[in-house]
Amino acid sequence: MKNSIKVERAKKNITQADLAILAKVSRQTINAMELGKYVPSTVLSLRLAQIFEVEISEIFTLEDSDWV
Amino acid sequence: MKLNYLFPNKYKKIGWLIFIPSAIIGLTTLIFEFEPNSLDFNIPAIFIDELFGDKHFIGIVNNNILNEILGVLIILSSLLVAFSKEESEDEYISKIRLESLVWAVYLNYAILLISFLFIFDMSFLWVMIFNMFTILLFFIIRFNWQISKLKKSARYEE
Repeated sequence: MKNSIKVERAKKNITQADLAILAKVSRQTINAMELGKYVPSTVLSLRLAQIFEVEISEIFTLEDSDWV
Repeated sequence: MKLNYLFPNKYKKIGWLIFIPSAIIGLTTLIFEFEPNSLDFNIPAIFIDELFGDKHFIGIVNNNILNEILGVLIILSSLLVAFSKEESEDEYISKIRLESLVWAVYLNYAILLISFLFIFDMSFLWVMIFNMFTILLFFIIRFNWQISKLKKSARYEE
């Protein structure tokens, strides 16, 4: 699954640390998500969508490998 | 949703403070078979199977309780170290925690299987003694290693 957390973060002009506080997770988790190493839970995804004020589907996109 | 069976973060430090000295003392007394007479007590036992005596349920045996004390301290303190929350325990940390636990169980049983097949008699007793503690020990090593790797990798990004 791809995500545009880094892009959305740049739009809002906030750091990983800021986003971590807003989303109530550790900075390592934000970092791991941006690197595609961690797929967040539905709850965290919804929190991110609310923080960025966008639809959840604008942040996350499925890839072919997600269907295997 | 928030239920996760973990201790508060502060217990991790307390766990380490008890674990390190009791592990060192425990290992030393085990190797040197140190059993001070002052710790010989008559204590209740559930199963009794004396070397040249009868077998029976429930009774009193004379036993040196030093190894019991140290064993209890090591087990309880390693539980605290293993299962206290991280400073920022979130869903990603929980995933690492679960993976480390699975990994530790596999490693522990792999070693136990090999020992079971190729180590016998009194030597196997040593395996069993260590095996009481290794599953938690493997988990602690793997989990903390993964967390420190994570912290390091996150430091250079942004």
